[in-house]
Amino acid sequence: MSEPFAVELRDVVKQFGDVVAVNHVSLRIRDGEFFSLLGPSGCGKTTTLRMIAGFEIPTHGEIYIHGERQGYRPPNKRPVNTVFQNYALFPHMTVAENIAFGMEMRKIPKDEIKRRVDEALAMVRLSGMANRRPKQLSGGQQQRVALARALVNRPEVLLLDEPLGALDLKLRKAMQIELKALQEEVGITFIYVTHDQEEALTMSDRIAVMNDGIVHQVGDPETIYEHPADRFVADFIGETNFIPVRVVSLAPEIVVELGTGQKVQAGWAEEGLAPGDKAVLSIRPEKMDLLEPKKKPQSPSQEMAYVPGVVTHLVYVGTDTRHTVRLGDGSEVVVRLQNIYVGEEPWEIGEQAVITWNAAHARILKE
Amino acid sequence: MSIETPELAYHERWERIKARFGSWGLTTYGILAFAFLYLPIVILILFSFNESRSVSKWTGFSLRWYGEMLKDDKIMISMWNSIFLAVVSTAIATVLGTLAALGLERYSFRGKTAVDSMFYLPVIIPDIAMAIMLLLFFNMSGIGFTPWKVSLFGVKLAVPYSVIIGHVAFNISFVAIVVRARLAQMDRTLEEAAQDLYANTWQTFRRVTLPMLMPGILGGALLAFTLSLDDFVITFFTSGAGFNTLPVRVFGMIKKGVTPKINALSTLMLAVSLSLVVISILLRTRSGDEESVQMGF
Repeated sequence: MSEPFAVELRDVVKQFGDVVAVNHVSLRIRDGEFFSLLGPSGCGKTTTLRMIAGFEIPTHGEIYIHGERQGYRPPNKRPVNTVFQNYALFPHMTVAENIAFGMEMRKIPKDEIKRRVDEALAMVRLSGMANRRPKQLSGGQQQRVALARALVNRPEVLLLDEPLGALDLKLRKAMQIELKALQEEVGITFIYVTHDQEEALTMSDRIAVMNDGIVHQVGDPETIYEHPADRFVADFIGETNFIPVRVVSLAPEIVVELGTGQKVQAGWAEEGLAPGDKAVLSIRPEKMDLLEPKKKPQSPSQEMAYVPGVVTHLVYVGTDTRHTVRLGDGSEVVVRLQNIYVGEEPWEIGEQAVITWNAAHARILKE
Repeated sequence: MSIETPELAYHERWERIKARFGSWGLTTYGILAFAFLYLPIVILILFSFNESRSVSKWTGFSLRWYGEMLKDDKIMISMWNSIFLAVVSTAIATVLGTLAALGLERYSFRGKTAVDSMFYLPVIIPDIAMAIMLLLFFNMSGIGFTPWKVSLFGVKLAVPYSVIIGHVAFNISFVAIVVRARLAQMDRTLEEAAQDLYANTWQTFRRVTLPMLMPGILGGALLAFTLSLDDFVITFFTSGAGFNTLPVRVFGMIKKGVTPKINALSTLMLAVSLSLVVISILLRTRSGDEESVQMGF
């Protein structure tokens, strides 16, 4: 692809004194993409965003926006706009004045400013609110003003720093859909910082999962969820089981040995593992099923695992029930079964059960 | 009620007595405290309207002393001196104090802590010490008591530069402290938002920082104005001979015995100070800024 990326980070490091906030991060964000930086607080995602905006200058490495090296360029000279976490609306200006601010600074003619402010207000459905002060608006409305104030400048890239963090759950869900629709409508590259994995999964085209200043994995939501690259990603995104295992062989088939001595196959193993290594078998709770011991097939196929255990805990959570099953070596596995069966005996605590899963869903990760 | 034990009833009655006495006692105490604070002022104002020369015996209502005050050229000159001095020193101190606050809050430099604590010095050291220091400084530096000659609404004034400098010197600190408190409360992301929206450093200051700081700056300026209007010690020491502000003039008049003219003058000064405070509160409540009102200024 010869077309330059919307934003490219090349080996970017940011240190604050002795603290390394961002550690050799390289990212390539495509034009028109909804790209999320996802990670727990303090993982360096906000610092990364602030470096793209120009509020922080990298200690090492370079940032390019549409192929142009940014270097020490101050925020007011960068073709990006930011939606801040607390919105940062100017309290002494009206909604319209807030939205017009960026265009005024760029000396855009008055009548054009007026027209574009009206358009922006219509876009975020706040047309009647032009003369209100930010304080007179609800959280969701302030959020939309912040969005309009940034988008009205038609930036090449829009940076959003946990913009929905201050909203209540219901409003947040509604805004997620609205924001995604808006991004598709305007076609601007969005770089979205969040610690909410569900938010990242539902909205993003691609996600970079960060922790301790390092990017652990970059991929689309399905890849991140279904094929986590390492233990951190598997653990941070969604719910997962980590069953302690020992690697038996990696080729031609990946085979690991459970604590009980039983050998099972897996679909994928993290690079750098060798036979004999201790590792974990990572598998999502919804990828497994429970069988009564007598229903276990006589000649099971190689790619199916059948692991016996005892049901120790049941939690009903509406759409499904979480079954905790203890294996022979004492390790516990959570199996989520959807509550879709009619007239079937539910599992009871203390019952013998066989957990079964397809090897393709099992991933062997470093401890 | 019917199943109350005697001990409980006794206990409850005692609690009720305590509560009633408590609220009664607190009210009395409050009234006494306010009387102590405001009774002298009420008496001062009352006797400014007294007909006779007496400042202790009421003989009847009259505006005579206000008339006499306005006719007294020396008082009028002192009043103009006070106003001119307060306006000029407040203007200078507000600009310098605001700049100092910005520098101290926004930048780190060597010796910042020392500079920072030095700004509190004029606030905490006794006026008399400051006055003597300034007096020595003006004598030794050769600045002396050269007057600034101006004509204000036909009144000819001669205000020594030394007094202006003296007033600026203590007012800078008050302005800097008030503005800094405001600055510390201010959300820095607002400035980042302005930069993000293509504003350069000056535009950010002009369009965002300054308007946000305005209540603090106005508060600081009003405080400086009131302090300057009110000051006796520093003015007295730094003015040389022949220059009087209102407080200095009142002091001179008292030496020759108290007349209701002084009451009238004091009432007028009180009214001016009071309206300044009311204006400052109104300004800030109107801008919907509750925190800074609570902060006083």
